[in-house]
Amino acid sequence: MKLVLEKIARDFSDGRQMRRVLFPTSLEFVPGELAVLSGPSGSGKTTLLSIMGLVLRPSEGHLFLDEREISGLPDLEAADMRLQKYGFVFQQPMLIEGLSVRENIWLALAVQGGRVPPEAREKTEDLLTQLGLEGTSHMQPRLLSGGMKQRVSIARALIKSPDVLLCDEPTSALDAESGQGVMGILKRIAVAEGCIVVVVSHDARVFPYADRLIKLENGRVVSDTRESYSPQKEDAQ
Amino acid sequence: MRSLTALRMVIHDRSSTAGALLGVIAIVFLVGQQLSILFGLLNYMSVLVDHSRADAWIVSPNIRNADAGNLISVRYLDRVVGLDGVKWAEPVLIGNGLFRTTDGSFESVRVVGIRRPSIAAGPWRYFQSDEKALLDLESVTVDRLDLSKLGAPLLEQVTEIGDRRVRLAAVTEGVRGFQGTIVFGSLDKVREIARTPPGRYSAILVGYNPGVDKAALTAQLKQILPKCSVFTTSELSRLTRNYYFTNTGIGSSFGFSTLIAVLIGVVIISLTMYTSVLGRALDFAVMRAIGGRKWDIAVVVISEALLITAVGLFVGFLMLATLLNVTGNSSIPSYFPAYVAPVLAAGTVLVSLLGSVVALRVALRADPASVFH
Ligand SMILES: Nc1ncnc2c1ncn2[C@@H]1O[C@H](COP(=O)(O)OP(=O)(O)OP(=O)(O)O)[C@@H](O)[C@H]1O
Ligand SMILES: [Mg+2]
Repeated sequence: MKLVLEKIARDFSDGRQMRRVLFPTSLEFVPGELAVLSGPSGSGKTTLLSIMGLVLRPSEGHLFLDEREISGLPDLEAADMRLQKYGFVFQQPMLIEGLSVRENIWLALAVQGGRVPPEAREKTEDLLTQLGLEGTSHMQPRLLSGGMKQRVSIARALIKSPDVLLCDEPTSALDAESGQGVMGILKRIAVAEGCIVVVVSHDARVFPYADRLIKLENGRVVSDTRESYSPQKEDAQ
Repeated sequence: MRSLTALRMVIHDRSSTAGALLGVIAIVFLVGQQLSILFGLLNYMSVLVDHSRADAWIVSPNIRNADAGNLISVRYLDRVVGLDGVKWAEPVLIGNGLFRTTDGSFESVRVVGIRRPSIAAGPWRYFQSDEKALLDLESVTVDRLDLSKLGAPLLEQVTEIGDRRVRLAAVTEGVRGFQGTIVFGSLDKVREIARTPPGRYSAILVGYNPGVDKAALTAQLKQILPKCSVFTTSELSRLTRNYYFTNTGIGSSFGFSTLIAVLIGVVIISLTMYTSVLGRALDFAVMRAIGGRKWDIAVVVISEALLITAVGLFVGFLMLATLLNVTGNSSIPSYFPAYVAPVLAAGTVLVSLLGSVVALRVALRADPASVFH
């Protein structure tokens, strides 16, 4: 299984004219590897991630998952795709108030209707335990700390064992310690389960967790390194 | 899971739920109360006809309602009585008179003269005494709810209607007409009060033998009485109701107030659902991002509306039932036919769905890409 971007580009209109935010970008993502997408603000990281997540259409180029072209899918098929293959973790936990922790997690399975299978109920408890959230499954999200909420949102992304896990700045709303915790979990669970993990972040504290570091500047990939990253190297440059 | 989500949202967003609930209750209660008054008034309009126990009414030609007709001759009575299938025929004389109240002032009343109160056109429910009390020439009835208006006369008390001596012999229950107080008395007394010529009546009521072909007999009556109008009781009832409904402005005033109630309800529901959905815009975007289709968002919003409507219907009907119970025995006209309840409920569901259309449009606009910003 591979996620392949082929000359993906995106233009946005800034009111009067079209502006290219993402220049043709070709990348390939493989399972079992945590890729970090980094770069200054406005460099196009979120745009790229949104295109990979099928919530934004590219202006040019093609996207393939497992050899199948998935860019330009009709709305309904894109939704099915997101439901079946994708997990998302956002900058904010984005849990739905009113639903309990476990109902928030279940929603990711049954957002298109239907009941939640009993295995999934068990898996939810397992996940919560793995994420250090045992005993919270009946709680309302607002009673949890920011780090806990973000871990719940990771559980929501992982409950369906996604092929692709996309995270946009998952640690930026957290204190250092919770951020480390979240990254540790992403690396441990997601990578262990063999899914494609892409984390957008410009937080240097995230880099040590990266198996691959892709840097974006002004809508272009400026570096793509696989070797294990060390902060000292950066300082030396 | 979608309906559970809707339920959780409805419970969680308490203030907007309360607002929308208020809209639904307003519709059910206000419209229901309007309807009960309307049906109560409709009953009043044709009260004498509906309770006459007759199969057919013979009245003067060209009448537009049961309360305004010329007098007809007693001769018709003899022609009808002899017919095959006719069980009885009874004359009725209806007029107006001034009732001298206990404190000496006057109240206009409608006097209904009858010959055999237990057979035709007599009171149908008594609060005090019974129809035997009416057999006497001077006896009249007054309804319980009109007693205080007439100065609380006591049973057996003697007073005057239209300067004629009458005696209160019985108190009726639930005998109220659209044109005010109804007083039953003997034919002769009513003739004196209304000063009508002898041998002429307002109507001749006909009772059929059980088992006869009613339509055929009615047709026969029409044929042998070409100078009169012959109505079945239900025809005359409908004619009378239609007449008052369209000619008194009751119909349009009722329609207008109902429209206002519905409009208020729709506006309340629209506004509260709209603000609630606006507050949930990001949640709907999240649902879209994690694989929800537009349809799934619609299901959630519509489920929310239906949940609120269901609770609103329950509370609204409970309040309405309480109101009807309280007004049932009062002088406020109120009657709520059973078949109206499901119609009102269905109408309310429709209206609250209408009210959630704006909210639905906002919810459907939720952009899954917005969750990344
Ligand atoms: N919907 C949009 N309409 C117009 N312009 C947009 C839109 N989305 C993004 N842009 C523009 O595209 C550029 C890249 O945005 P993007 O959100 O991808 O940056 P980013 O790298 O994620 O930045 P940050 O680190 O601040 O999140 C920005 O200049 C932004 O203004
Ligand atoms: Mg961004």
